[in-house]
Amino acid sequence: MTSAAFGWVKGELIGKVIAGLASGCAVVAVALSVPPLRSVIEQSMAWHMVFQMPLLVLAGALAAGAWPQRFMLNQLTAFNHFGLTGFMAAQAIIAYWMLPLAIDRAVVSPSFDAIKILSLLTCGTLLFSAFKRAPGALQLFFMGYWVSMMCWLGIYFATTDLRLCNAYSLESQVSAGYGLLALGLLLGVAWLATVGWTSVRKALPSRIHP
Amino acid sequence: MVLLLNPTLERPGLVKTFAASTAVLILGLAVLWSATDGGQAFTTETFRRQQVARQPQRIAPFNVTLADGNPTRLDTVLASGGKVWLVDFVYTRCQTVCSSLGSIYQQLQTQIEARGLQGKVGLLSISFDPANDTAPALAAYAKRMQMSPAVWQVVTLTDWQDRRRLLDAFGIMVVPAPLGEFEHNAALHVVSSSSVLHHIIDYTDFGNALDVAARMAGDANPSNTVVSAAAARAP
Repeated sequence: MTSAAFGWVKGELIGKVIAGLASGCAVVAVALSVPPLRSVIEQSMAWHMVFQMPLLVLAGALAAGAWPQRFMLNQLTAFNHFGLTGFMAAQAIIAYWMLPLAIDRAVVSPSFDAIKILSLLTCGTLLFSAFKRAPGALQLFFMGYWVSMMCWLGIYFATTDLRLCNAYSLESQVSAGYGLLALGLLLGVAWLATVGWTSVRKALPSRIHP
Repeated sequence: MVLLLNPTLERPGLVKTFAASTAVLILGLAVLWSATDGGQAFTTETFRRQQVARQPQRIAPFNVTLADGNPTRLDTVLASGGKVWLVDFVYTRCQTVCSSLGSIYQQLQTQIEARGLQGKVGLLSISFDPANDTAPALAAYAKRMQMSPAVWQVVTLTDWQDRRRLLDAFGIMVVPAPLGEFEHNAALHVVSSSSVLHHIIDYTDFGNALDVAARMAGDANPSNTVVSAAAARAP
């Protein structure tokens, strides 16, 4: 999600592919909130928390990547240097949807579920522009926070005897915990790989053309 | 850091960014603060327990059936004897958490009898599975649990349609589990004789629940006023 990773995304065709991917992710994620697929997230905490929620964020990020540069958020650059404000807002949204009581409410109340969909899509678009603008140190700060939060919560969900969500069985909570742990690790590795790839790409041309 | 010190950056932009970030941070914290009841409740269960403790809730009357098959109303059952009740939710086919809840109710029954609290604290199990829990099923359950009718009663809903409303009133969420069982948040509900839900207490803390109920029965309702109140309500 860094600027370099998306730097090569310039051609119109690639833009269309990304737009297609964004709508694909959004359609799948939203379909999980509507019957008949809704029963999947009602019965499985993992499908809800480890699949649908991250997919919504991804859909938002991809949509932001597919939009023309001048669109919307760029107007607000003055308020979002280094993507700091975007990170803060994304942090609040992510922290909220990690709360067991928020997850319960999204299962019970369709209107609350709609808020979940909108806020997580927004979170994705905010993260896209934030990662584009943020220096590595700021990215490390937030990524480090999210990765450790997901891993810690995942281990807690998987090992505690307490049923944290009234809407899900303990068994479902345990698998969601392992899923969250895996997702946290995957995110961390993906971010490191992107940072590594970016620095390699920066280093290469300078050697060829000093 | 290099970027932060970069002189080409417009300072007003940074000021705007910090202002916006701070505003977003405060807003985010405010939302989290109110959603978690001041950072104290992270689960639905804790949230509802704190809410009930702060603001006791009246339970609407429901049509229920006793183990002997007689129809009555929940508020009538609760008003009988002017007791404070420890209410729990069961389905009699349950093999898992309800059986441990059952043994806790047996221990509570023993303690109530040992402490001579029969006239002050009652135990009430309500079935949320009226399709299977007919009066004969309740009677079999009462026998299996060795219920002493003066202390411990079990009722089932008369109308299946009331199930959702009853569970919502007490904040119970029932999730289907493998082998036709149910999983649900199990707790002890302290309900007054006037059908007001005052406390929700974890069933692992059942000794405390009995103390709370006994104190409520003793302090708030001296036995003579309770009797007259119950007599006034009787037809």
